[in-house]
Amino acid sequence: MNNVILKMTDITKSFSGVKALKGAALELRAGEVHALMGENGAGKSTLMKILTGIYERDSGEVEVFGEKVEFQNVKESQEKGIAIIHQELNMMKDLTVAQNIFIGREYIKFGVFIDDGKMEKEAKKLLDYVGVNISPRKRLGDLTVGKQQMVEIAKAISHNSKLLILDEPTAALTSVEVDDLFRIMKELKSKGIGMIYISHRMDEIKRISDRVTVMRDGEYIGTVNTNETDNEEIVKMMVGRVILGKTKEKSACPDDAPTVLEVKNLNVGNTVKNVSFSLKKGEILGFSGLMGAGRTEVARALFGADKKDSGEIKINGKLVNIETPEQAVSQGICYISEDRKRFGLLLDKSVTENSVLASVGKFTKFGFIDDISARKEAEKVNKKLRTKTSSMSQILRNLSGGNQQKVVVARWLIKDADIFIFDEPTRGIDIGAKSEMYELMEELVKKGKSIIMISSELAEIQRCSDRVIVMCEGRKTAELPIEEATQENIMKYAMMRSKEGIA
Amino acid sequence: MNMFEKSKQNFIIVVALLVLVILFYLLNPNFLNEYNIISMAQSLAPYAILGLGVTFAIATGGIDLSIGTVCIASSVVAGKLYTDGLIPLWSTIPVMILIGGLFGLINGLLIAKLKLPAFIATLGTMMVSRGLSAIIVNAPNVFYPTGTWFNSLFSNNNGFPSGILWVLGFMIICMYIMYKNRVGRYILSIGSNEEATRLSGINTDKYKIMAYVLTGLGAGIAAVFWSSSFVTVASATGSGMELDAIAGVYIGGTSAAGGVASVGGSVIGAAMLVVIRSGLNFVLAKYNVSVNSTYVTYVLTGVIVVFSVLIDILKNKKKK
Repeated sequence: MNNVILKMTDITKSFSGVKALKGAALELRAGEVHALMGENGAGKSTLMKILTGIYERDSGEVEVFGEKVEFQNVKESQEKGIAIIHQELNMMKDLTVAQNIFIGREYIKFGVFIDDGKMEKEAKKLLDYVGVNISPRKRLGDLTVGKQQMVEIAKAISHNSKLLILDEPTAALTSVEVDDLFRIMKELKSKGIGMIYISHRMDEIKRISDRVTVMRDGEYIGTVNTNETDNEEIVKMMVGRVILGKTKEKSACPDDAPTVLEVKNLNVGNTVKNVSFSLKKGEILGFSGLMGAGRTEVARALFGADKKDSGEIKINGKLVNIETPEQAVSQGICYISEDRKRFGLLLDKSVTENSVLASVGKFTKFGFIDDISARKEAEKVNKKLRTKTSSMSQILRNLSGGNQQKVVVARWLIKDADIFIFDEPTRGIDIGAKSEMYELMEELVKKGKSIIMISSELAEIQRCSDRVIVMCEGRKTAELPIEEATQENIMKYAMMRSKEGIA
Repeated sequence: MNMFEKSKQNFIIVVALLVLVILFYLLNPNFLNEYNIISMAQSLAPYAILGLGVTFAIATGGIDLSIGTVCIASSVVAGKLYTDGLIPLWSTIPVMILIGGLFGLINGLLIAKLKLPAFIATLGTMMVSRGLSAIIVNAPNVFYPTGTWFNSLFSNNNGFPSGILWVLGFMIICMYIMYKNRVGRYILSIGSNEEATRLSGINTDKYKIMAYVLTGLGAGIAAVFWSSSFVTVASATGSGMELDAIAGVYIGGTSAAGGVASVGGSVIGAAMLVVIRSGLNFVLAKYNVSVNSTYVTYVLTGVIVVFSVLIDILKNKKKK
């Protein structure tokens, strides 16, 4: 099957003078899974928004099923058979599966009553067609994220979609759910449906896609056949250079470095059980484990963001009481969350305001905030961090993920924190900015700061940590020097389930 | 929003206000007679100060529905103490401010510590303040004196509307608190992203409570001006006032979602409502329209509130 169902050529698009797309292109065949790759900000979502009619292009051509189109809105693209499955699901949690699938076009009986029975029957047919076993009567919110996604796919199919866009569909899925999703995608493939697949995960791209199109800085870089191309080549296309993920061979932190933080028998509800550990000055302590192992909960309790049930915290040998983030910050601890948008940033405020948020007091003279010296300090620190922003008064929403992350780091550098807790420091950050983040952490420890780094990426743990703590089901299952922190070793301890349940 | 955009927005509503004034003047030149100017300036004070206060609650992303009834409750309770001879006239001032602040504190505690939605917490204190003050006072009206220093200081000094100077003074103080002091900075941060602010080591509960205390103090201070200018204050009233004041704040450019506040805009918004109310009276009278001007005022104010917020939303949409 080689018939082309989508052809986008030479697409350009500018936003208030800034070129987001310059000569972007994409071609999709029926029955093909086509991966669209590129760093954050490469223009993938802009291109998809043009395809679905959310944005209007400045120039270029879009041809869908052999017909030149000029979509004005999402509805027009839907009618042509294009559907997008978003990263964040757009469905009603309190409605049933069937009600969600048929929302906006409910079956009616006797002219006034919604015919739930018929909708459920039709929904069942669709779900069977897609190949998933979900009861159409279930409340959507009671399903796992993975199952919800499959409902959304069924909904797209019910609209007679022949072209599906999947935007980072696996971001929140477990590996079993990913397997399920891929099975369904293969099913749809065999039915001739073309899929554009956006993801950062190389292994998935390898498993599921037929071809890969790479974009960089709004430009079309190239299209390759997946099975003829190795990972390094794709990464090279994406960043324009080769990145080597090396593993740290031995701890960079001297053995006799003083202990800055000691946590003893920390307990938080059901999520953290008797966790103890210590952190040395100038050390990067990696926290590894599977999703839900309790690592974030340890960090949040240590930072006072959540209430702990029991546990002792010593800083520089002195017992301290930390019940609130305010107290943690006054002890020199800071927490940089994986969910920057919710827990880190004031998205509608400037780089300056975000940078000095924790240190407004420092810039207050005679009861007046000195905005000029605040801006100067923010400028100085952000320059050092190489934050890319048009100006210090730029709104955070307009910065890329990596640069937003740097502004949060700037906040704590200005506050002069000593202990940095990074929770998934590179989540949602593109590959180029990742290594910059690693260098930044190394610079921090060189300056005598200490770091706790929670990460789900083994390569990241191996690249950065001096020592690794592995958690499983709320317990600390291992403490490994970096020399022993092999992937096999970490995984073994990450899956070392408790036997308490049996007794 | 940077300084430039903020002043641009203020400029737009000042122009809108001037256009309204000129329009009313053209329709009925009598609108700008000396007496009416004084009367408008005088009635501006309580509304503008209510608006200045509630700007802080709205900036956190919350709301305070109790300011109108708290304002009247402060006035009647202090007035009752004064007419019963329990306190001298001057001490009605701190009593009113204190009552306002107290209700603000209660609101703040309910919202920040007990996590009640602001709408519900302040709906409760609105009803409580209205009923409770009437029970305490146990009289349909309280009376403040006329022609004393109290009146000339706060409302009308030999024909000069002294309230207007106070409004400007309070506006400058509020600008300082909102833009140049930690309290305002944190209040705006909370309105922008409360959890991120808390995780930056800021005691968000404390600053949220402070926002409502400032709002309550505004209601108490507004009571001083209300008492001195209207003299006869009916107990168990005041509901409806809060909506006028809040409408003025929205017209002034403060975001209902929090995070963005225009202190100057709140005063201009209040002025706009006063001008509309008075101007319509003159226009309807001149053209012998037999409709109660209050009703027309409601219609016009409603339309302006919706439109000014709508323009704001459309502007933001374009930016994204």
